[in-house]
Amino acid sequence: MLAIDAHDLAKTFRSGWPRRRETHALRGVSLTVQRGAIVGVLGPNGAGKTTLLSILTTLLVPDRGRATILGHDLAREPGAIRRRLNMASGNASFLWSLRVEEIIAFYGRLYGLGGRALAARVEELLGFAELGPHRRVPYNELSTGLKQRLALAKSLVNQPELLFLDEPTLGLDPDVAIRLRAQIAALRRQRGTTIVLTTHYMREAEELCDEIAFVKNGRLLARGSSEELKRAIKLGDVIALRVDAGGAAALAGLPGILRTTAEDGRVELTVDSAQKRLGEVLQRLHESGAVVRDLEVREPQLEDVFIELAK
Amino acid sequence: MMRHELIRIWAFALRNLLMASRNVFFVFELTFWPTVGVLSIGLMTRFLRLSPADTSFVLIGTVALSTVQVCQLDVAYAVLYDVWSKSMKHQFLAPIAVRHLTLGSWLVGIGRGLVVFALLAGLAWWAFDFNPLRIGGGALGVFLLGCFLTAWIVGVLVCALVMLFGTRAEASAWATVNLVLVLSGIYYPVSLLPGPVAAVASAIPLTYFLDAFRSHFGFASEFASPLARGFGLSAAYILAAHWGLRAALDRTRRSGLLLKMSE
Repeated sequence: MLAIDAHDLAKTFRSGWPRRRETHALRGVSLTVQRGAIVGVLGPNGAGKTTLLSILTTLLVPDRGRATILGHDLAREPGAIRRRLNMASGNASFLWSLRVEEIIAFYGRLYGLGGRALAARVEELLGFAELGPHRRVPYNELSTGLKQRLALAKSLVNQPELLFLDEPTLGLDPDVAIRLRAQIAALRRQRGTTIVLTTHYMREAEELCDEIAFVKNGRLLARGSSEELKRAIKLGDVIALRVDAGGAAALAGLPGILRTTAEDGRVELTVDSAQKRLGEVLQRLHESGAVVRDLEVREPQLEDVFIELAK
Repeated sequence: MMRHELIRIWAFALRNLLMASRNVFFVFELTFWPTVGVLSIGLMTRFLRLSPADTSFVLIGTVALSTVQVCQLDVAYAVLYDVWSKSMKHQFLAPIAVRHLTLGSWLVGIGRGLVVFALLAGLAWWAFDFNPLRIGGGALGVFLLGCFLTAWIVGVLVCALVMLFGTRAEASAWATVNLVLVLSGIYYPVSLLPGPVAAVASAIPLTYFLDAFRSHFGFASEFASPLARGFGLSAAYILAAHWGLRAALDRTRRSGLLLKMSE
């Protein structure tokens, strides 16, 4: 069952007067997201990630395309969609003099929560986001990490079935980011929440996401699990060796080698599959009499995929 | 369903109330400027040796100005707070309608407007021997309702302008209401205005509410059935202003300004 079924979404921003400037933020993106999945939307700055999320959250109206969110038509039933989704941004901002508990309660009321139900929800979210000790602190006195945790707490106030997270760990200290990632993972595990997130941190995407959609210049370039993307991009694995001088020459002509670099006895071979080629490489070196002093096999990282796709 | 409606309206009322209670400048809005207004205009009436009747005519306008202004600002704050704090998108991500936003903030505006009116009425009575309360609760209530409806309309229009033009339209929150008050005969009968301007004045509800209120102080009414006209126009403008605000919100969702105002 799909949480998001979007087709051919396009958006162009127009600005400037009297000469109009046009920025094509999205140029026909289609995306489907299964219920209960965590999907990452990656891409370089200005790729269209935030525009895509804004359209799917009803904050922005697309120029073209159609989408069904949680079974509701995006154009015709935005109210029904808004009841069931929410969003948190890494650079979220709230009213400066309202306190943490007042901000959560304010947004809770916007979803029709009142009385004991609202009080219970506020308490629950203060606990979930570990904001209890800061409940009476005004927003403008919170640290970046606390602001981000508040943004996450606010985004859960209506117990959304679909949650959008735009750079949720942006600018956080590593330990705070780790805790926040654990909380995001717990949301899916405990509540079955479908999550769509954008991030610039590849480790975060690899750790959290079932699937990754790579967007560039307003287009969806690639889509799949982290492993699928690595295979699809064909970056190859790296076999790094330290061998006696002349060892590299013995490897010439071996099948499956995409690239070779050799310097000061260190040889790096980029091969189509390390699993397939490692034996052949070692055998050839053994036959040539070269002695292998050190060996390391590296698989490509999602970061490598990102760099390759962003080129 | 009705409970959810009331909770959403209360959300905005409580938010405005909390924000107002924590900002020292709002105390100025409520006390300093209105007091300065009544004192300076009242002293001018003494200097010009105006009769008690003429003094009351002018002071009614002065009190109305501050009452409408304070209430209207609260309605405008419904959007301005979010523009200033760059949190606009969060509230429109929720399933709310513009009526929740404007009604909630209007309720706080009414409260603050009543405080200003009471303060200025007391001051005008003490300093210039003009007691606006002497006409009785009914007539006074109708006049205040008229002032607050005018404030609601102007406030919603300001919200729409801010939605359409962002912070560039911020100044309209303070300017628009002054224009409306000048046109509606704040210190003078609208019959003094030149023909085309008088025609504009006759399209402003506050013109009729001021006319009706002043008739209780012995001034001849310039219009037939001023209250019916005032409330009729108010109802039409409230609907139109909300339609305008909703259209402005739809436009910001298309243009992307809603996101720009949140970053």
